[in-house]
Amino acid sequence: MIKITNLEKNFRIHQARSGLGGAFRDLFQREYRTVHAVDSLTFEVEAGEMFALIGENGAGKSTTIKMLTGILTPSAGEIEINGFDPHKQREKYVQSIGVVFGQRSQLWWDLSPLESFRLLRRVYHIEDEAGLKWQERLIEELDLGSFIQQPVRKLSLGQRMRCEVAAALMHKPKLLFLDEPTVGLDVLVKQKIRDFLKSLNETEQTTVLLTTHDVSDIEALCKRVLVMDSGKLIFDGQLDELKQRWGSKTEVVFQFKRKIGKEELAVSLSPFECEINPVSEYALAVLFTHDKLPLVLSAVMGSFEVTDVAIAETSTEQIVRNIYSTTSETNGVASHG
Amino acid sequence: MGKLYAELIRIRFLTLLAYRVNYYSGIIIYAINIGAYYFLWGAIYSGQGNLAGMSLSQMTSYVAISWMSRAFYFNNIDAEIGQEVREGKVAIEMIRPYNYLSVKTAQALGEGIFRLFFFAIPGLLLIRLFIPFQFPDTLEVWGWYGLSLVFAFIVNTQINLLTGLFTFFFLRNEGMMMAKRMIVDLLSGVIIPISFFPGWTASLLQVLPFQAINFTPSMIFSGALAGKAAFTAIGMQVMWVVILLVPIVLLWKLAKRNLIVQGG
Amino acid sequence: MGQVIRLFQDYLSQYFKTKLTYRVNFITELVSNLVYELLNLVFILVVFTHVPTIQGWTLYEIVFIYGYFLVPYALFSMFFGFWDFNERYIIRGEMDRILTRPVNHLAQISLESIAPDRLFGVITGVIIMFFAGSKLNLDLSWYDPIIFLLLVFSSTLIYGGIYTAIASVSFYTDSRTGIAPMVWNIQNYGRYPVDIYNNAISILLKWILPFAFVGFYPSAYFLKKEELYGYTMLTPVMGIIFFTLGIIFWNQGVKKYSGAGS
Repeated sequence: MIKITNLEKNFRIHQARSGLGGAFRDLFQREYRTVHAVDSLTFEVEAGEMFALIGENGAGKSTTIKMLTGILTPSAGEIEINGFDPHKQREKYVQSIGVVFGQRSQLWWDLSPLESFRLLRRVYHIEDEAGLKWQERLIEELDLGSFIQQPVRKLSLGQRMRCEVAAALMHKPKLLFLDEPTVGLDVLVKQKIRDFLKSLNETEQTTVLLTTHDVSDIEALCKRVLVMDSGKLIFDGQLDELKQRWGSKTEVVFQFKRKIGKEELAVSLSPFECEINPVSEYALAVLFTHDKLPLVLSAVMGSFEVTDVAIAETSTEQIVRNIYSTTSETNGVASHG
Repeated sequence: MGKLYAELIRIRFLTLLAYRVNYYSGIIIYAINIGAYYFLWGAIYSGQGNLAGMSLSQMTSYVAISWMSRAFYFNNIDAEIGQEVREGKVAIEMIRPYNYLSVKTAQALGEGIFRLFFFAIPGLLLIRLFIPFQFPDTLEVWGWYGLSLVFAFIVNTQINLLTGLFTFFFLRNEGMMMAKRMIVDLLSGVIIPISFFPGWTASLLQVLPFQAINFTPSMIFSGALAGKAAFTAIGMQVMWVVILLVPIVLLWKLAKRNLIVQGG
Repeated sequence: MGQVIRLFQDYLSQYFKTKLTYRVNFITELVSNLVYELLNLVFILVVFTHVPTIQGWTLYEIVFIYGYFLVPYALFSMFFGFWDFNERYIIRGEMDRILTRPVNHLAQISLESIAPDRLFGVITGVIIMFFAGSKLNLDLSWYDPIIFLLLVFSSTLIYGGIYTAIASVSFYTDSRTGIAPMVWNIQNYGRYPVDIYNNAISILLKWILPFAFVGFYPSAYFLKKEELYGYTMLTPVMGIIFFTLGIIFWNQGVKKYSGAGS
């Protein structure tokens, strides 16, 4: 479905000089700097996968998306998606993809979404009965019915975003790009869009590529996650794997029937690498890596009388924060995105 | 407060400086415009000594200086206001601790200063290499010209503010702005000196504000308006500055009310 | 191509729907276009109150040239409304959206900004031509309307080529207003006989920004200025050359935008 090999993109950036004198000198002579926005990116995606591309601002996400959608030409490397080379076969290729740019509208501001849909069906040559039926399904599933006749400028952000998703899917693309689709949306709208995307993926096997800053999007939708930093792919794998790799330790708080000393518990947990902290007279917190959860639980429950157990799982959000903090320490400067 | 406006002027100046293609093309094409009108008038004058009381050489000076005056006072703040209204940015401007129209005027002034130094003055010197025309020979005339140019700038900016303010009511207003630009160019005397208009049209133009934008400074520069006449003409400009304040203030009040009703 | 024509109909109906939501502006735009067209006529009329001819050209000849000049410009501006190309498509990034749609990019942009109300300019121009023509007692042959259409089409291509090339400049620089409004000023000199300008300018108007072919030279045919027929016949050639150049520039620009030509 998607096959990316050694993808690279370099930009020449104008370095503006500061101040009045600098601006004046810029009139006549400019200084440039080359930035490697995307650097030897390689990955493959199967049809029907839903995956997320994450990274800090400037990590090279947008540049990558722009290359994958045929907007930008790669400086080097190969892209093959749906059997096309996106840039070289642009007009044919884009027929097979849908794109939602969260920050940019593809709807006509002064017209109703329905008018925009009509025009898009013409743009994508899908004026037949099936196209109309599909449009009706989109309207129903995204629940657009109540405002589909109003001019776009009068819609709320949430309503507009749902229309944007419908517009991007009007031609039933096999691959859907979502660039920051949920920025600024409230929880209910986010949920609605996510539910819709899930059902779309199940019924139509649509492949979905998501870039986002919102970790809950990933948790709700994606099994696979790609993490970029400074133009490079630093992680490609399952969400669980990501959690293990960067997730901080799992903390379990045990409430005991009687007073248990820290040392007492340490004895029975001696086979595992863990850290024990007292919470109260009857409670102790145990910190260890996630994979040992069942072992730790059975060891403690087997040796002591436990009245309550609370497991504090690290959130993906926490993980992403961890990734960002560790990578930016090692990589210093963020590049252009 | 003064510091804020100084900063706005400076920022606009820097912004314009950053767009170098505009700068180059601006100079070249102003020069082409002046050149073309120079030849057009040359053709019109061929075989004629004096038209509407102006000699060819006075006309030449007039063409050069009227375009250079335009290079100074011209700006697009009405279109900018229009865009900010449509994009809803005006609502934000309203809650800021300054007067929106003064901010726009300051930006216009920043643009004017930029245009003066980078278009008008070098342009004037450049054109003089190709087209022989008279510079004023006394410092006094330069002074009068400078003064009337400042008022020309104010009157033009006021008219731009007015057309810009109409966007608050119509949302889209490009048509009116375009018509205004054409009318200002024709009736202020950039394209044809007002004294060329026949009979009643000339007297009508005498009582409209447009002549204050270009005809007055250009006539002072070319020496056709001097001494007491120049002084009176500048007095007329000042009068227009004051008169135009009235509709601006009124429209602004209405616009603010309209904005609140519409909710931005 | 067939698809583009069908899209044209769609965009046309979208256009009217949009325009009708801003009725006041729709009307002021129509009026301002008319005002603009008449203001230029005012200049000509005012000048001729002082002189009998401009280097041998009479009032109605100049008015006729002006009438012709309006027609191809109106047709051109019907299809080329992206004067704000830089602002809208480059700075605000709409070009990305264009590139993710399966229709030729220039056609998409042209369609997104069509302005059928500019047809009124054609009407104004034709009325002015007929008015001046009747004053000049010009007679029409049966084939003149065909020649007129051919010439107008060629002049329109010249506009299209020049302004497409200029819009392409936006792909190379982040400059905001660019050159277009300035060149727009130059084009207005195409409505006067080119021979009144000096050599440098008339070379510019003939060969570099060939605005002599959007008004003066084509009109010369109808004004029976036989010594200029050579130039009149050159009009279609210039149209094809400049339009092709415009397209080449544009395609290069898109390549550059995509980062292939840097």
